[in-house]
Amino acid sequence: MEFKSTRREWNTLQKDTLERKSAADQYVKEGKIVDAKDTVALLETVIKPYDKVNIEGNNQKQADFLAKKLCEVDPSKVHDLHMVQSVLTLPEHLDVFEKGIAKKLDMSFSGPQAGRIAQFLQEKKLELGAIHTYLELYGRYFVDLTPKVALVAATMADRDGNLFTGFSTEDTPVIVEATKFRQGIVVAQVNKIVDKLPRVDIPGDWVDYVIESPKPFYIEPLFTRDPALITDAQILKAMMAIKGIYGEYGVERLNHGIGFDTAAIELLLPTYGEELGLKGKICKHFILNPHPTLIPAIESGWVESVHSFGGELGMEDYVAARSDVFFVGPDGSMRSNRAFSQTAGHYAIDMFIGGTLQIDPYGNSSTATASRVAGFGGAPNMGCDAKGRRHSTAAWLKVGDEYALKDQLYGPVRRGKRLVVQIAETFREKLAPGFVEELDAFALAKNAKLPIEPVMLYGDDLTHIITEEGIAYLHKCGSMEERTAAIRGIAGFTEVGMKADPKETKRLRTAGIIKTPDDLGIDIGRANRSMLAAKNVHELVEWSHGLYNPPAKFRNW
Amino acid sequence: MQKWDELEKSSFLDANARQRAIGMTDKGSFTELLGPRDRFTSPHLPVLGTAVEFDDGMVTGVGRIGKHPVFVISMEGKFIGGAIGEVNGGKMVGTIRLAEKAAARIQKEHPDEYAARRPLVVISFETGGVRLHEANAGLLAHAEVMDAFQDCRHKLPIICVVGSKVGCFGGMGFVAAATDVIIMNEQGRIGLTGPEVIEQEMGKEEFDASNKALVYRTTGAKQKYIMGDCNYLVEDTIGSFYQAIADVADKPMAEIEKLRRIGSVKLVEEQMGLVKLVGDMQPKDAMDLWKYYGNEKPEELPELSTAEFLKVVKCRVRN
Amino acid sequence: MVAWVVQSTGEIQKLVIKEEISVALQTLNFEFQAETPETMTKEWSHLGVTGSGDLEVLMEKKNLGGKVQAKVVTPVKGFDEVWRRMLGKFVNDCQVGDVSIEINDDNATPIVVYMRLRQAWAESSEKEAE
Repeated sequence: MEFKSTRREWNTLQKDTLERKSAADQYVKEGKIVDAKDTVALLETVIKPYDKVNIEGNNQKQADFLAKKLCEVDPSKVHDLHMVQSVLTLPEHLDVFEKGIAKKLDMSFSGPQAGRIAQFLQEKKLELGAIHTYLELYGRYFVDLTPKVALVAATMADRDGNLFTGFSTEDTPVIVEATKFRQGIVVAQVNKIVDKLPRVDIPGDWVDYVIESPKPFYIEPLFTRDPALITDAQILKAMMAIKGIYGEYGVERLNHGIGFDTAAIELLLPTYGEELGLKGKICKHFILNPHPTLIPAIESGWVESVHSFGGELGMEDYVAARSDVFFVGPDGSMRSNRAFSQTAGHYAIDMFIGGTLQIDPYGNSSTATASRVAGFGGAPNMGCDAKGRRHSTAAWLKVGDEYALKDQLYGPVRRGKRLVVQIAETFREKLAPGFVEELDAFALAKNAKLPIEPVMLYGDDLTHIITEEGIAYLHKCGSMEERTAAIRGIAGFTEVGMKADPKETKRLRTAGIIKTPDDLGIDIGRANRSMLAAKNVHELVEWSHGLYNPPAKFRNW
Repeated sequence: MQKWDELEKSSFLDANARQRAIGMTDKGSFTELLGPRDRFTSPHLPVLGTAVEFDDGMVTGVGRIGKHPVFVISMEGKFIGGAIGEVNGGKMVGTIRLAEKAAARIQKEHPDEYAARRPLVVISFETGGVRLHEANAGLLAHAEVMDAFQDCRHKLPIICVVGSKVGCFGGMGFVAAATDVIIMNEQGRIGLTGPEVIEQEMGKEEFDASNKALVYRTTGAKQKYIMGDCNYLVEDTIGSFYQAIADVADKPMAEIEKLRRIGSVKLVEEQMGLVKLVGDMQPKDAMDLWKYYGNEKPEELPELSTAEFLKVVKCRVRN
Repeated sequence: MVAWVVQSTGEIQKLVIKEEISVALQTLNFEFQAETPETMTKEWSHLGVTGSGDLEVLMEKKNLGGKVQAKVVTPVKGFDEVWRRMLGKFVNDCQVGDVSIEINDDNATPIVVYMRLRQAWAESSEKEAE
């Protein structure tokens, strides 16, 4: 048999890139530097119709200048782009669709732009590939969604294109690696071009062009929660979480979702946690952005390590001064890295705990609403039982041993289980119910013609729900019927809770599947703001010995 | 309700109107007048579908500091932003008039001891001004309060206390300025137009209301203290406010008169001088003024604790 | 309600509006009976502020033959049954009797209502504060 090669050329990608780059040579001033005023011309030269393009849009850091300039290219030259990016935050991220520059989208999360995505889908201005988790999308960067051109953001660059991404590294390494090693083109906007970088985070060989943007990149202090806004009900749930879950299982390694519920838990560790004698037994290792509300727990010696997805505005100096706890480079500043943090969050922690908008009677929970295509970012990777995990810890084994379905599913093999915990108030502000018979995700799937309902955490992964009424230990339920009864039993006076059978709820309490604050020995009268280790942002600054430098919008002094 | 000794140590900023009223007078001496049980709620709010409160968002009553009767008015910012309507406006005016009557009676019955027994009015402001649901009555109350202040002039001190979340804005900013003495904690704010309204009218470039640091250094207590508008800057405990009030209670009226910022030709001239100064120097930020008055590193002042601030700050010198 | 309308002629006309305006506050009344009720020690107690998402509670000792009367004034519609159950739960959990409860509410969630009731009850039963 004769083997015949199907093609003569095996470096077309590289050739294409070299052609584009030589056409763009005219815009390069010195080394790899391109003047900001030539950005649009550069983009029109290096981007071709139908390219896969990434605008670095992270949870926090944004390549905002390049996003704006991409909107200014001539749609007759650059059109039908396929945008592949983790987060859509800025209006420009969708303006490219409005202007006919881009056509298709694959993404993870879209906070403020979620309503517009739904609208564009209806108007057929946009084709949606899929809504991924972060890790899933990063994975696909190396399979079938590799960017041809990446528009990234860094803090500083030198003339050779070496980048310093520092405290706010986030997605940059994974985007650049996928793009460059598949012969793509990397354009970086930087706040400043310097002679010598504090450290090199991305080697210049992987970067084609650097542009000093007129303004530093936009960054949002997304994870800062002002303790002054924490309510008594949040403090009650935090007390229940610490006593009924953290203490009960001895959870040492964990991730906290964003929000006031987890901020309350962080601020109760040095007070209520201390009182329960849990110091050294729980909360030793976090996968977490540098939450300012974690400062009192760190300062009082609870926390051994924190690895972060991204930075948090104002926490730079504090983090740098606590290199025993945070991951800090030889230059003295932290390096975040979302891909590694997400990996750690998926495999190396024992618990995810966070808030949600809706939970159904099966334990599925979602933040999706009927008219917004938002995605869930990293939550599904944290909030699931990682099936590939093969190391064990006490907390993980305890949940596995308590798992009521283990005999039916596992046979004689001993396995552990991740704690996946949702905190919900039965009614939120404006009396919106936290428990519903059908998730809004179903209506959204129908409205936006999605093949699957956008569920954040699946019911079979969820092990615990905390409401002000009690904790439901769902992994202890032997059937869907029992699980639903447990959920109804803590759903208060929502439509889901109203259907609870008081006798069944009582039985579940006896069986230890539902525990009310009384069952946990928690005095509701103590659940008030005097329990917080810091009651406002100013007290966080004091705890930090003046190292935390809160953004202006959080300074009421 | 917490014990009085605990109240004295607790945060003024976090305290509700009733806790403040009790804590600013001697232990066990406060008697509430028109309290919740009297159910004097607003007649205007129910038809507009707005929730009511039994005390209409204002605690009024009388207590003592030593031999001085203390007539207290304490506003609750959590109820409709502490805004002034018909009922709470009436309570405010009635309390000041009561103090005035008490002063007259003490003058008559204890003419030799008047200084030691002289009553005082303490108003803990936490308000955005007029309650829009009942604006005419609210505006009228502002005028009547100012009128009552005038009638108390030289007889008994009116003390303004500002240190709660909402601050003191709108028409009540004028009212606060017309009192004899102003006591604030670091978190206290006094102004006329609220930050959000300035931004809305003048644009974000002129005033960014989300920049809280800017808001505080423009309307906050440290700025008011440097300019001489705030007479006492105290720590954020109810007890610190009590101490400052007790200090004023024993001062001669002539000395209290010197603490005022408006109310005489000389003071008007002084205020006009400030207007001229601002016109000449065109400050871009409150910090420019702080520097003008001799603070070499104005950017450091907001970061200092109250005690450190008081040690190093240089203020406008009043003649 | 009665309103006064100034006509373009300058004439003032009295207007009597009989129907309740739809935005008006609602008043809900309930009655409860616990199994082994105990009344409060103080004559009355008051707690909380009608702030957004919060409420105030006024409890008064009253001879009601062991029953509890509750009056709720709230801008929120359609939650009558939730109020009935929540107040009933409180009366039952704490075995409250011979007490009149009055609540001014501004969109408080059920847990806030329950916590405030428990706090007010604890206060109404404690020894007189100094």
